[in-house]
Amino acid sequence: MGPAEPSSISQLRRGVLEYCVLALLRGTERYSYEIVHALAQADGLVTTEGTLYPLLSRLRKEDLVSSTWRESDAGPPRRYYRLTPSGEARFTMFLGEWSRFRDSVDALLEGQ
Amino acid sequence: MTTTTTELHPLAEAYVKELKDAARRMPRTQRNELVAEIRSHLAETAPATASQAEVLTALERLGEPAEILAEQGAEAAAPPRGLGLHEIAAILLLMFGAFLFLVGWLGGVVLLWSSRRWTTRDKLIGTFVVPGGYFGAAFAGIATSSTTSCFGSGRHVTCVGGPSTAAQIGQIALGVFLLLGPLASALYLARRAR
Repeated sequence: MGPAEPSSISQLRRGVLEYCVLALLRGTERYSYEIVHALAQADGLVTTEGTLYPLLSRLRKEDLVSSTWRESDAGPPRRYYRLTPSGEARFTMFLGEWSRFRDSVDALLEGQ
Repeated sequence: MTTTTTELHPLAEAYVKELKDAARRMPRTQRNELVAEIRSHLAETAPATASQAEVLTALERLGEPAEILAEQGAEAAAPPRGLGLHEIAAILLLMFGAFLFLVGWLGGVVLLWSSRRWTTRDKLIGTFVVPGGYFGAAFAGIATSSTTSCFGSGRHVTCVGGPSTAAQIGQIALGVFLLLGPLASALYLARRAR
C-alpha cells in the first residue's frame, strides 16, 4: 500500500462502489464471491475484498438487491443476488448523473 | 439456510474464528450473515487443498477482521435519509404540541434538536418560527386583540381603545406571521430533512 489515502478519496470510492455492484447485477444474478471478485479485478476500486460484504448487506437492507442462498455442487451454499425494481430505478438514476458528473469533471481537468 | 460445513484451510478457519470473536457485539443475525458470507468467500479462495502461500494471499486480500467490522459499523451507522417517525413527530409537536399543556411543544424541540437530519440553522428556524406553534399563535392573537373592546350590534359597532392605523397594519402583519409561520416552518423542515 502507498501512503495513507485522504478520506475524501475513500469517500469518492465508497460512493461509486455501490453503483458498480448494481451495474454487475443488471439483467443477471450473481453470487457474492462473483461480485467481489469482479470488483477486486477492477483497478483501484477495492482496497480490501472483505469490506464489500458490509456493503452488500446494506444494499439488501435498503431493498436495492434481494438474495437467496442456494446449494452448489462445488462446495458450500452460495448467496445469489439480483436487482430489485427499486435497485434498477436507482441504477438508472445513477447512470444519468454519472455521465453528467464525469463529463463536467473531465472538462474541468482538461482545461488545466 | 443449510450449512454444509466445507473444509477450509486451517489458517482460514483461524481467521473465521477471529472474525466471530471480534464480531461478538454485533446483532446475532447480522453477525451470522457476515460470517456465512466470509466462510463462503474463503471456501473459494482458501479451501483445505490450497497451499499456505495461496491462503496467505487470499487472507491479505480479504483484509483484517477489524477492517471488515469497521466498514460494517460505518455502513450500519449511515443515517437513513428523509423523514423518519422521529422527524414527523418533531414537526407535529412543534406545530400543535403546546396544546398539550405546553410540554408537547418542548418535546418537539427536544426531538428537533436530537435529530441528525437537520442542520443547526434548520433547528433554529424550527424552534423560533413560531415558539409554541399554533398555541403560541393563538395566545399572541388573543393578547393583541384584547386591547380593543367593541360594543353595539349589527352595523352599529363602536370600538373603544382601538389601535391607530399603523398599529393595525402591524397587527395584521403579526397575525399573518403567527398564522403562516408554524405552517411555513413545518413545510421547510419537511423539505430540509436529509
